[in-house]
Amino acid sequence: MSLICLGLEGTAHSFGAGIVTSNGNVLSNEYDMLKTKEGGIHPREASRHHSELGPTIINRAIETAGIDYNDIDIIAFSRGPGLGPCLRTTATMARTLALRLDIPLVDVNHCVAHIEIGCLESKFQDPVTVYVSGGNTQIIAFAGGRFRTFGETLDIAIGNMLDVLGREIGMGFPAGPIVEKKALEGSNYHTLPYSVKGMDLSYSGILTASKKLHADGVSLSDICFSVQETAFGMLAEIAERAIAHTKKTELLLTGGVARNNRLADILEGVANRHNVKFHRVSPQLAGDQGAMIAWNGILQYNAGNQIAISDSSVLPKWRTDDQDILWRA
Amino acid sequence: MIKIFFGGLESMEILALGAESVIFTINRWDKQFVLKWRQTKPYLHKDIDSQLNKTRTSRECKMLTTARTLGVPTPAVYSIDLSNHTILMDYIEGTQFKLLADTLSTDKLTKLCHQFGYFIALLHRGEVVHGDPTTSNLIVDTKFNLWMVDFGLSEMNATVEMKGVDLHLIHRALETTHWDLEETMLEATLAGYVDTLGEEAKETISRMHEIRERGRYH
Repeated sequence: MSLICLGLEGTAHSFGAGIVTSNGNVLSNEYDMLKTKEGGIHPREASRHHSELGPTIINRAIETAGIDYNDIDIIAFSRGPGLGPCLRTTATMARTLALRLDIPLVDVNHCVAHIEIGCLESKFQDPVTVYVSGGNTQIIAFAGGRFRTFGETLDIAIGNMLDVLGREIGMGFPAGPIVEKKALEGSNYHTLPYSVKGMDLSYSGILTASKKLHADGVSLSDICFSVQETAFGMLAEIAERAIAHTKKTELLLTGGVARNNRLADILEGVANRHNVKFHRVSPQLAGDQGAMIAWNGILQYNAGNQIAISDSSVLPKWRTDDQDILWRA
Repeated sequence: MIKIFFGGLESMEILALGAESVIFTINRWDKQFVLKWRQTKPYLHKDIDSQLNKTRTSRECKMLTTARTLGVPTPAVYSIDLSNHTILMDYIEGTQFKLLADTLSTDKLTKLCHQFGYFIALLHRGEVVHGDPTTSNLIVDTKFNLWMVDFGLSEMNATVEMKGVDLHLIHRALETTHWDLEETMLEATLAGYVDTLGEEAKETISRMHEIRERGRYH
């Protein structure tokens, strides 16, 4: 008989509730993102958003899935990494439900969940994952029982860089989709700092230099074009290094910034060059949402991984490689 | 091994296929050499691609020599072709440290790591960073001597931040590639670094710890 898991995601500005079965069917995936005028996230405002909208979103997930609260077998929640107040609000809802329904609670690592939902969708067994979002930029692969971070940003995440750039040059929030659209109209490449260090990279230099281009009167479309080519080129290079290093045969692109078509094109080029399979996670599963937490909850539960309420305090700095991945062992 | 004939004159065999280059071995003047060829990447914007290949080829050439001047064993460069992005250098007969680490006794492993740290210290003392200090870029030759290669990401006029990143990259390489030996190897490498630089090492090592915490949610 298949199990049903309700997953709650609330690490940053989005709150999501998703329901997934142990067969890998996503029955529902409801979420809402806090939008602010100036962009940026205030942790307290985001956590208030989660506590105010959380119950409604959870109810909607139950309704859409066509089930009843009593049909749920497992509650999973995003334990970290993320913003403390957001994590605590989400964890409180998860604990309450687990107690009220008297069912097991499973603590999920947000980054690991992004990888596993991508594997579910792509049927990939063991990919090199490029995980790009507002808060994270990591190249991750499974090795020695854990998901190891082969490379990541040394300063700001790629989504954050795009958002801050958008705010500074007046494009609104979130700026990623606008940058992508503008870049299509650009064609003149202006040199920006290309900063790759080993398999790590740095984006703060691009931010500073493109603000200067803006001050010098370079058109928005050429700035966006140059930013994308440079920032994504750097990601492609470290993804390529990770593939060459690990000799893995699959490349997975996930996270909110995976929605960018130019990034997907570039990474597909990397995959072709090394003769590996490529998959970009579909938009509804790429960003932060509850289905990925629910699916990871099932994987963990089946591997005998659950957590006592008393031990379930949140982990804002939970590293990807801190968790033993029992279900892949 | 694949054999390729270049200009019909010399036979070359592919020694390794890296992420950004192909390494050939080549016979010339009755001696064996390595030819490193940085290829064009079709998925990159052409300006970025040609800029990177040019800078990295000339930088590697220069820094292999600079490093040797500072006392770090590196292959000597014989010729460089900036339009085709190739460098002809010494062939070091041996094995990548990465492939050897698992097979060594703790004693030998510690000794090599200590030497790795010593090399990094020599570079840092000369205000140079390697830029990609992994165990893939260390070769253990047939007489068990350690060599450093791949200076394409190397930089001069290094700041504390750049040196801190260099050490951070060592930590990163050890945790992703040698997770079972991570502690032993990191400890020995840092010991080699500190034994060489003494007090000077403190600031860089604390920067390394600081860098590790960046780039994450806070």
